[in-house]
Amino acid sequence: MTADSLMESVRKARRGVGIAGPGRPRRAPRRRPTTRGMTFVLFAVPSVLLLLLLNLYPLLYAGQQSLRNGSLVDAGSFVGLQNYTGILTSQSFWHATEFTVVFTLVGVFGSWAVGLGLALLLRPGVPARGALKVLLLLPWVVPIVVSSTSWNWLLATPQSPVPLLAKHLGFGDVLFLADPALAQVTVCAFKVWVSFPFMMMMMASALTSVDSTIYEASRVDGASGWQTFRLVTLPLIARPTYISWILMTIFCVNDFPTVFLLTGGGPVNSTQTLVVLAYTTVFQDFQTGPGIAIAFLMTIVLVAVSVTLYRQIRKARIE
Amino acid sequence: MTEDRISGTVSRRGLLAGAGGIAALAALSACSGGGGTSKTIKFWNMPWGGTAFSPLDQKITLGYKPAAGLPAASYQAVQWANFTTTFATAVVSKTGPAVSSGSGTQAFQFAKQNYIAYADGLLESWQKNGLYDDFLPGVLASMKTDKGYVAVPYNLDMRVLWYRKSLLERAGVNPPTDWQSYLDVCAALKKIGVFGFGIASGAQGNGSQALTGLLINNGGGLFNAEQRPDCVTSANIEALEFVVELVRKGYMDPGSVSYSDTNEQSQWKAGKFGMGFETPALDQYLGGAVQADMTVAAPITGARGGQGALYFPNNIMMYRNTPSQQGSEAFLTYYYRNMAPLWTKQTGVGLPVLKSIAATSAFRSDPNAVTAIDKWLPICKTWAAPGGDALFANVSLVDSTPLMSTFAQSVLSLRATPKEALTTLQNTLTSQWK
Repeated sequence: MTADSLMESVRKARRGVGIAGPGRPRRAPRRRPTTRGMTFVLFAVPSVLLLLLLNLYPLLYAGQQSLRNGSLVDAGSFVGLQNYTGILTSQSFWHATEFTVVFTLVGVFGSWAVGLGLALLLRPGVPARGALKVLLLLPWVVPIVVSSTSWNWLLATPQSPVPLLAKHLGFGDVLFLADPALAQVTVCAFKVWVSFPFMMMMMASALTSVDSTIYEASRVDGASGWQTFRLVTLPLIARPTYISWILMTIFCVNDFPTVFLLTGGGPVNSTQTLVVLAYTTVFQDFQTGPGIAIAFLMTIVLVAVSVTLYRQIRKARIE
Repeated sequence: MTEDRISGTVSRRGLLAGAGGIAALAALSACSGGGGTSKTIKFWNMPWGGTAFSPLDQKITLGYKPAAGLPAASYQAVQWANFTTTFATAVVSKTGPAVSSGSGTQAFQFAKQNYIAYADGLLESWQKNGLYDDFLPGVLASMKTDKGYVAVPYNLDMRVLWYRKSLLERAGVNPPTDWQSYLDVCAALKKIGVFGFGIASGAQGNGSQALTGLLINNGGGLFNAEQRPDCVTSANIEALEFVVELVRKGYMDPGSVSYSDTNEQSQWKAGKFGMGFETPALDQYLGGAVQADMTVAAPITGARGGQGALYFPNNIMMYRNTPSQQGSEAFLTYYYRNMAPLWTKQTGVGLPVLKSIAATSAFRSDPNAVTAIDKWLPICKTWAAPGGDALFANVSLVDSTPLMSTFAQSVLSLRATPKEALTTLQNTLTSQWK
């Protein structure tokens, strides 16, 4: 047996596979339903039925409505995939998709970078760490209606504090919400501001789980601070990082109030995301079919992204 | 023996018996309660005014004493938040009201789905008792469709020209009378750092209504006589070119593109807005010292020599799902005869539709409201202009929808020429047409 084949056998053994191969699969012994098992099933039935009623029925009904040309008061007639083809060929859908991608990328990685940075800064030993953490949590804790109203007050008119400050600093009249490009930047910044406390908490908890002796060992080995962060900290918190990315991706794609309350998707649709487009299509344009179709397409993309990131988690666990 | 007792005093059998009794009672009360409730005329009204509106409105409603054999009335205030969903789900599930107000175009949409009881019979009875002739000229016509009157006008909103008297005095100018003088007044206001074209065109603003008002002012509008979109007309292009001139010359606050009503009101209060097209209730929303300074100007003449403005006849509709159509009509007759306090007690509701209310001394004491009724209403047209006055279901596509916000924003931000913006509007309306 060569060294290579020996290592291959060891790898197989780690995966629970025999050296000679996986062998014939054993048939699982047939189990008789026990009274205890039946009791558990009976207890679970009402909950399962309730879940089906609350989730499956609306899902199927929505799926059916996405194939019709109805309104809020009319089921409409069957139009096949017309709503989907209409959406996929509409400029507003692709524009909303484009901004949703930007909004999500900035929201996920911006809040993660800020959150991780603050979590690293506020590690045990920092004075007034608890108080600082509570203060930093405020953007996440404060209701979004209050936050968006506050941001609007800070930014909307030329007499608002931030445009005044920008003018004093020599930037001229800055239209944070009226200029389409700046409105996009503002909405993304607002999202990062609202979301970083969540990331900070996730990363802080991940950092506490890293064994301090590993840092000591890397210091003894002469690793610089950046090397320790890149080669020790980041790999060791990879799993919670991926989980937080999955969660924040879902939060960002489904985030309705941040955009709707601050800009309503404007000006000239520049900050319209898919969820805002779906809402306005159903509840303001009264076109339920296309609106639901947008929501379904969003769900498919979200599931695909979540599955991809989940695979990364599994990979991180194996490594 | 102890296993039989869940607590010290209640046996398992007793508990089961009690639970059975409660279930039976609940079932019985559901039958009798539901039946009882369904026998009242459910009146759902929107909070049209300030905080004083709904309590007084409820008092008026509950003061209804039905004639023998007719049902009494119950009252529910429906909040504006998501009210379209509230009505849609209630009406479709047949748990909705027998009589309600709502959005200006709601009755037309529900009528299309056969949920509305037409008001022709009611209006016929009002012709006999004098209520019909009490309506201000033209307002009833806005509710008329091929199948009959879908609703009864209730209160009016419109886009009138407001100005701050003190700011115009400081600028040394009089209120404008036509588009050229509007430009001149704007130029004078600009010299004192005030915007003459005050507008809010964000998602929570009414900018598209002000623009549509200017289209109508120039003899244009969005729909033709066949009630089809007809946006790209020379009158409309000319009106929007006037708007573009206002923007280019710096008479509009550039932030207006994204302003909400609240932002706009703060600009009026801050003395940054000197003129603008807004609701007749604007002075009440502003309140404080500014309220006395706010003045409604007389209608201005458009480039083509005509006058016109946009108005919204908010209405009350009757539904087919009622315990008694006769009861719905009897209640509405009572309500219209007794609703005057909603205006005379200054609850903040829109302008009245009845001459008798507009003639009260309490109403006449407000010169701005009087100007709106006496000078603006005669030249006002609905969303259906210039083709007609009667509204229709597809008007809901332009009644303060995101499409109209985008249209206004694209014009005011100069991202589209008037013709391009109108063409986009025309194409989108045509694609959404039902």
